[in-house]
Amino acid sequence: MAASSLTLRSSTALAWRTLRSMRTALVLLLLVALAAVAGSLVPQVGVAEARIAAMFRDHPLRARIYDQLGLFDVYGSWWFTLLYVLLLVSLGACLLPRTRALLRNLRTKPPPARELEGMRHFAEVAIASDPDRAIVDARRVLRRHLFRVNGANGRPSLAADKGLAREAGSLLFHWSFFLLLVGIVWGKGTGFSGTAVVVEGQRWVEAHANFDGTVREGRFFGEDHSGIQLQVEEFRATYRPTGQPEDFVTVAKLHEADGSFVRDVEIRVNEPAKIDGVRFYQFGYGWAPVVEVERDGEPIASGPIVCTQRTPPEGVSRLQVPWDCVLKLPSLRPQVGLAFVLWPDSRALYSLLETGAAMPMLTSFAPVMTYTAYEGDLGLVVPQRSTVLDTSAMREVGRGAIGAGETLDLGDGVSMRFTDLREYTVLQVSRDRGLWIVLAAAILVLVGLLPALYTSRRKLWITAEADAGGTVLKVGGFALQRRSQFEEEFSRLVAELRRSSSGGVSV
Amino acid sequence: MSVETWGRISTDAFNVAFFAYLAGMLGAFHHLAFRKRPVWSASIVLITVGAGAHLASLVARGIAAERIPLGNMYEYSLALSFLVVVAYLVVVEGMAKVNTLGGFVLAFATVTMAVAALFLHVGPAPLVPALNSYWRQIHVSSMIVSSSLLALGSVVTILYLVKDRRERTQAPPPIAGGSTDLRTEEGAPHDLVPGDEPAPAASRRARGWLPAATALDRLAYRLLAFGFPLWTFGLITGAIWAQEAWGRYWGWDPKETWSFITWVVFAGYLHARATSGWRGRRAAVIALIGFASLLVTYYAVNLWIVGLHSYAGVP
Repeated sequence: MAASSLTLRSSTALAWRTLRSMRTALVLLLLVALAAVAGSLVPQVGVAEARIAAMFRDHPLRARIYDQLGLFDVYGSWWFTLLYVLLLVSLGACLLPRTRALLRNLRTKPPPARELEGMRHFAEVAIASDPDRAIVDARRVLRRHLFRVNGANGRPSLAADKGLAREAGSLLFHWSFFLLLVGIVWGKGTGFSGTAVVVEGQRWVEAHANFDGTVREGRFFGEDHSGIQLQVEEFRATYRPTGQPEDFVTVAKLHEADGSFVRDVEIRVNEPAKIDGVRFYQFGYGWAPVVEVERDGEPIASGPIVCTQRTPPEGVSRLQVPWDCVLKLPSLRPQVGLAFVLWPDSRALYSLLETGAAMPMLTSFAPVMTYTAYEGDLGLVVPQRSTVLDTSAMREVGRGAIGAGETLDLGDGVSMRFTDLREYTVLQVSRDRGLWIVLAAAILVLVGLLPALYTSRRKLWITAEADAGGTVLKVGGFALQRRSQFEEEFSRLVAELRRSSSGGVSV
Repeated sequence: MSVETWGRISTDAFNVAFFAYLAGMLGAFHHLAFRKRPVWSASIVLITVGAGAHLASLVARGIAAERIPLGNMYEYSLALSFLVVVAYLVVVEGMAKVNTLGGFVLAFATVTMAVAALFLHVGPAPLVPALNSYWRQIHVSSMIVSSSLLALGSVVTILYLVKDRRERTQAPPPIAGGSTDLRTEEGAPHDLVPGDEPAPAASRRARGWLPAATALDRLAYRLLAFGFPLWTFGLITGAIWAQEAWGRYWGWDPKETWSFITWVVFAGYLHARATSGWRGRRAAVIALIGFASLLVTYYAVNLWIVGLHSYAGVP
């Protein structure tokens, strides 16, 4: 029993000693960097889903191995978290003793020296004043150059040092880096982020169910969604004559959770709207045709349909690509599904049909949709995206085109009217309470880095001995860094000591 | 003058700068080999003229595009190579008084310019909305300046490794670590007949074409230690911009990831320099890994890896 607890204790001590060494912290940081290399080369969840799917299709074995290793979600994997935590612990463990040593160093005065002659820099200065006076003058010179000076008791001598800012800066840098890592974890852990898709004229409420796709919620997030409401009035995209985008604006009204109006906002790229720590960023946009479906004069479905766009092929602008929309009518028997291809500017469709030339669609102009109608089973028993139509259990029953304001007869007394074309805006919605910690820490990282790199620790000793009516000052010292610069500084100091003391003679 | 005229002026000035640098590079290598002072003076004049044309090219580009010319990879490369050359003239020639490294630095600058002209060129144009932020100006300029310092420091590091190897193979290391430039005869090439008076060129070769390894090491360290805080600053301002533009300060986008990797490697270099047993060659190797990572950050991410930064001008 005793033996095993002893080995346990000694192995804990060994682990602690290992964690405390700078090398361990560096190796861990390097491992984080290596994980990042992997993360930048392997497609990641939420960034390149299509490439992951392609990999599962083309190289199923490799994809399965990658998946098991967490390589598709490097930054969310358990081993990345482990590395991160170990790095934090190791960094802290490495810094604590250094901080204690610095504090001790700050309190104690520089110790007296023994052999000045043997130091890297040594000089003798002969001056006229007596030793006590010379020491007083020397102390003033060193003070003026911001040295910490300690007069040794007994002999007329001085011990001085300078450049504690190097270690202090280094520690500030490392502790701030520590704080930065903590701030990131805390901010991400207590925050959330997701995308909101809002059609012009609609009101969006910030709640878990209302996000488009998955919403990322932190590990320590307590489901405290804000309930903030955003009423989107209008989305505007403006382009230069060349077709290059100039500005994207979402014009909206912000409301508190209880519905009380707060203020009007214009959300632009680089100009988010902020309220109660929740931020709305302009992220994207798209088209949403408004349709009304009636059966025997009774409305059975109405509202905007959010259309999506396929990734354009190489060399084709996103503006030249038409939009895909899906309308599902599950209440009809048999069920009906419509797949639309929307041309916001019908001139682009005609241009493509007549001359084969693709034309960018900058605004809506006599919009037109081509459609394919299907009948059968929509397969809604399994969850599916609203923008995808599963036609595996359906058969095609018709094709055609419909312009804005026109009505499409679907048979059996069912008709669909294409009333209007609106735009929708895609907003990135997030809350990160660690933002200010991270920013402050990042600034402190920089503040600490400068003295840590550009100052150096220097030590200097002076003794004064009476010699034939005057005094001989012996000056010795060395620098721990930037030695070549200290050589100059040392000779300047010696020259100044000589000058200041000779000035004291006339008194 | 019209936008097209300014665009043409920018291209012409680019060509002038490029060929002036090429000529200056030849002169600098000639000086390195034969130590003809007039050749060195001529190459400095050429490099300075080239830098002037280079600046003119950047300014004209800015006028043509009606913005600060730091909006795409072509412009980054233009600014990067310009700053590498200016930093060389100011820091290495001016402050450190080392006048034998010009050829290597200009080789880096001209390759960067050639790649820019051949593969990255796009016409001057205004920016897409996401790039339209003043944080971008701060972020991009600090990234370009620090890249140029890190690249210059890395070039000097390569030369340090070359020189250090030569000093090791040619003679036992001096006991007190004195200036290796003082050694002459002991490092003479072996093909000299004993007793022969070493020819001037040979003794020059024996002394080495390059400054002493310790001097190169110190110069490299200063450049890298200057570039590192700027890189840190660039990372921070980039994060602030990302927060404003995309709603997150860090998203492991490939460019972000690789600039972080570069930061870690150069941080490792600085730690190695401060650790006994790691100074010198080992630290230099770490710096070169950092340089490779910097090149990946600068080129590979934009050209091969898809991410938010890939809209930086390369189609």
